[in-house]
Amino acid sequence: MPVEDPPVDETRPTGFPSGFGRGSREADALLVLRCLLGITPRTLHDLIWREGSAVASLAAIGGGAAGSDNDRAFVTDATPAGIRECLQAADARFAAPGDQEYWPALLRLEDPPVGVFLRGRRLSLEHRRVAIVGSRRPSTAGVEVARALARGCAAAGLVVTSGGALGIDARAHEGALDAGGSTVAVLGSGIDQEYPATNRRLLREIVARGTLVSEYPPGVPAEPFRFPARNRVIAGLSIGVVIVEGVARSGTRSTADFASQVGIDVFGVPGPITGPLSEAPNALIRDGARLIRGIEDLLHDLGIEAPQSAASPEGLPADQRLALEALAQPMLPDAVARATGLSMPDTLSALVHLELRGLVLGSGGRYRRAFDGSPVDADPASAAGATGSGRRPSG
Amino acid sequence: MRRVTERGVVGTYGHAMYGRVLGMAVLGVGGYPVTVEAFVGRGLPALTVTGLPGAAVQDARERIRPAVEHAGLEWPLRRVVVNLAPANLRKEGAGLDLPIATSVLAATKQVPEEPLRGVVLVGELSLRGEVLSTPGVLSVAIAAVQAGHTTVVVPEANAVEAAQVDGIRVVAVASLEQLVGFLRGRWSPPEIDADPGGGWSPPEADLADVRGQEQARRALEVAAAGGHNLLLVGSPGAGKTMLARRLASILPELTRAEALEASQLHSVAGLLAGRGVLRQRPFRAPHHTISTAGLLGGGSTQLRPGEASLAHRGVLFLDELTEFRRDAIEALRQPLEDGRVVVTRAGGSVTFPARFTLVAAANPCPCGFRDDPVRSCDCRDDHLARYRAKLSGPLLDRIDLRLGVPRLTKHELLGAAEGERSEVVRARVLAARDRQLHRYAHTGWTSNAHVPGALARREASLTTAGERFLGEAVERSALSGRGFDRVLKVARTIADLDGAERADVEHVAEALSYREALEPEGRSARAS
Repeated sequence: MPVEDPPVDETRPTGFPSGFGRGSREADALLVLRCLLGITPRTLHDLIWREGSAVASLAAIGGGAAGSDNDRAFVTDATPAGIRECLQAADARFAAPGDQEYWPALLRLEDPPVGVFLRGRRLSLEHRRVAIVGSRRPSTAGVEVARALARGCAAAGLVVTSGGALGIDARAHEGALDAGGSTVAVLGSGIDQEYPATNRRLLREIVARGTLVSEYPPGVPAEPFRFPARNRVIAGLSIGVVIVEGVARSGTRSTADFASQVGIDVFGVPGPITGPLSEAPNALIRDGARLIRGIEDLLHDLGIEAPQSAASPEGLPADQRLALEALAQPMLPDAVARATGLSMPDTLSALVHLELRGLVLGSGGRYRRAFDGSPVDADPASAAGATGSGRRPSG
Repeated sequence: MRRVTERGVVGTYGHAMYGRVLGMAVLGVGGYPVTVEAFVGRGLPALTVTGLPGAAVQDARERIRPAVEHAGLEWPLRRVVVNLAPANLRKEGAGLDLPIATSVLAATKQVPEEPLRGVVLVGELSLRGEVLSTPGVLSVAIAAVQAGHTTVVVPEANAVEAAQVDGIRVVAVASLEQLVGFLRGRWSPPEIDADPGGGWSPPEADLADVRGQEQARRALEVAAAGGHNLLLVGSPGAGKTMLARRLASILPELTRAEALEASQLHSVAGLLAGRGVLRQRPFRAPHHTISTAGLLGGGSTQLRPGEASLAHRGVLFLDELTEFRRDAIEALRQPLEDGRVVVTRAGGSVTFPARFTLVAAANPCPCGFRDDPVRSCDCRDDHLARYRAKLSGPLLDRIDLRLGVPRLTKHELLGAAEGERSEVVRARVLAARDRQLHRYAHTGWTSNAHVPGALARREASLTTAGERFLGEAVERSALSGRGFDRVLKVARTIADLDGAERADVEHVAEALSYREALEPEGRSARAS
C-alpha cells in the first residue's frame, strides 16, 4: 500500500515528543515500530507527533492509520521479546533516542530514525566522526584520495564514517583501519547483512574494530531504495562530510544535502571539470562547500591539530631525488630517464626505491608521486631541492 | 607379363605370393619402423589390412588400387592381405600408403625385391598415383637413420626436410610411377638442395620497430637473458602483441640440434611442408578459444602436438590471458615446469617436448582502460576484483616478470627515442646466457628462470646491501615466498646482463619494478 508523504511543512516539529520511548512499554513499542518496513521515517515521525507516544503510534498503525498490510500483520504478531532474541542471535543491539549510543545530532534530521541497530564496538559520544563518501566506481586517483584522507583522519584521532558500499566507501574504511583507526559503517540493509559480498571481509573487520549501524532489523535485504535514507544517518553521525567523487545525481549528493539539515560542514575534493566524477564535489564547492586539497585542509577547517607526517623526501640519494623532481605528472619510466639523464635500469631502480618509501606510486606502466594527503603546494621536490645540492634544472 | 587364355586373364602369379617392404608410422613426435608384408593369394578380389591399422590406414584400401592402376601397373584380382608389424601398435596417418602399395607390387613381382633392401618408404597416395606431402617426414628420416637403414623414399614436397638428416640417402618421388622407375633402375632421382633459400631467411620483426616502451623493451631483454616468462598488462592498443612478437628476435639463434627438434614437431603437425627446417624461433599465438587438446596436444586418433609444443624453443604468446579456458591454462603448468607435455591415451602415452618462453597479455581491468591517460575506466570494484582473481593462480606463479604496458599518448609517442636494434640487445642476451651456462655447468640447469628456489637463493650471491634492501622490500610490500624467489631470480639475470658477479641493490630494485600489482584494488596492493 503506497504511503503518502505529507507536504513539506516548515513548521514541522523536530526531535520527538517528551517522554517518547521512555519506560519499558514505550521501549517495547519503539522496537516494534523500528521493525516496520512499509512506513517511511517521515510518515512515522508525523504519526508519532500526532499520537504523542510510541505505544499510541503502534496502536494507530494496528488500527490502519498508516503502514502496509504487512506492517499491520507484524504489529499483531511480533513480540518485543521475539525481536530481542533475533537481535541477540545477530549479535546486534538497539539504541533509541536518549540512549547512550543514539547520537543526539540524529535528532536534528527532519525525519530522525526512531532508533538504530548496532554491531561491534560501542558508539562513544566522545568520538568525533568525519564522513568520507563518494562514488561506487571511483577513479584510481579517487581511491587514493579517499584512502589518504581516511588515514589522515585516523592519525588525527578522528573516526571515519561512511556507507558499506563499494568504491570510495570501502576505501575510506580501509584507509582508517590500515592507519590503526576506527570506523563506522552505516548500512542500507539489515544490521546482519554482509552486503555487498565483495566487502564481506571488510565488514567483519569493522565489526571487530569499529561499529556497524543500520536503521533496519536483522534479515532486511539490501534494496537500492533504502540507500538514500541511510545517507541521512551517515550525515547525522558526523561532524563533517567529505565528498571525494560522485556524478551529478547521486547518493553522494544526497549525503551532502542531509549534512546541511544536520548543520555540519560539507567538504569537497575538487576534480577536473571535464570528468563526470568531479560533478558532485565541484557543484557542491560552487554551492558553498569547503574546498579541500588534502587532510591538512580538512583538519584545519575542522579546527583539529594535524599530527606530524612520517614520509619525508629529505635526505634522498641523488638519483631518487632527481627522479622524484622529474615526476611532475604521471610519467613513463622512459620519460623519467630522459628528464634525469639516468639509464633505464638506474631509473627503474630509483623509482622502486621511491615506491618503497611511499613517495611514488607505479601503476599500469606509469609512475606518479604518491598522494600523501597533504596539499599539493607543499611541493616535496622543492623541499628536497632546498636541502639537497640544488640540482634543480634552472629556468 | 600376362597372357590371355580361353578362361580369361591369368597373371604370371598363379600361385600365392609374398612381398615385404619397410614403412614408418609416427607416434607422437617419433617415427617407429613398421614392416609391411603383402600376401596375394586365392580368393575373391579384396584388400585386407591387419595389424591395428588406424582409420587413415583403413582408408588406404580404397586409395591404393586406383593409384596403382593409374601408374600403369596391375592390381592383382585376387585376395590381398597386408599386415603391419608390430601388430600391437596402432598405426595412424596416410604415410603408409606408399609402403603398402609397394609391398603389393613386390609380392606380384612388378618391382624387384633387391633394391628395396634397407629402403624406408613414406608417403600418401592420391588416386592418380601422385605421392603427396605427408606429416612427420623429418621424424621418419631421423628414425630411419637410427634404425640403420640406408635410404628413405619421401614425397617430393617433403624432400628438403628429409635432407636435413645426415647419414641417409633421400629419394624424393612425385609419383608412384617414379618410385617404380627408381626400383627398376630406369629413373634416377634428382639431387636435393638441402638449403633452398641459401641461408636466407625473411627479416624478423625488429625491436627497433617499437616506439617508446623502454621498460617493456628492457623486460623483454631480461626475459630473453634469463628465460623468464613475461606478463604484459595494458590497455588495448598499447602494443602488447607487437612487443611479444619481438621477443624471438633477441633470443639466441637456434642451434642445429634445437632447430631439428623444433622442426620435427612442426613436421609431425604437417606445418613444415616445403621448408627444410625452422630457421627462426617459432612464435605461436593461439586464439583464446583454443581447447586444452589444441594447446597441449592430443586428439582422439592421431596424437598431434599442441601449440605449446609448436612453440618449443620459441615463444608462446597468449593474448587476452583471462579469456582462455581455465582448464587449458591450468594444463600449461606441466610444460612450464618440465618443458614437455605428456599426452596419455588408452593406447599409451606420448611425450612432446615443449620448452618455450611464455608471454601472456591481459587488459588491466574488464573495460581495459584502467590507468589510461585519456579514457576513463568505469569498472566496478567487484568486477575488477573478480577479473584480477582470474589473472592470479598457479600459472601466474610461474611468470617472473609482470609489467604494465601503458597506451602512449601522442605526446609520449612523439617524444620517444629511437630504440636499439634487436642484434644489439641480442649480443647482451648472449653474454648473460653464457654467464648462466658457466655458473650452472655442474647442476644440469641452464638458465636463471628454471633453477629451483634453493639453488637460486644460493647462486644469486646477493651483496650485503642487496640482501638488506630485498629484506626491506619484503617487509614493506608483503612479497610472498614465491614472489621472493621470483625477484631473486630476476635480479640474478639483471646482474648477469650487467656482467656483475653478485646481485646488488640496483639489480634487486630493477627486479622489483617488474611486479605490476595484480591484487584487487585493496589493502595489499603494492607498498603502502
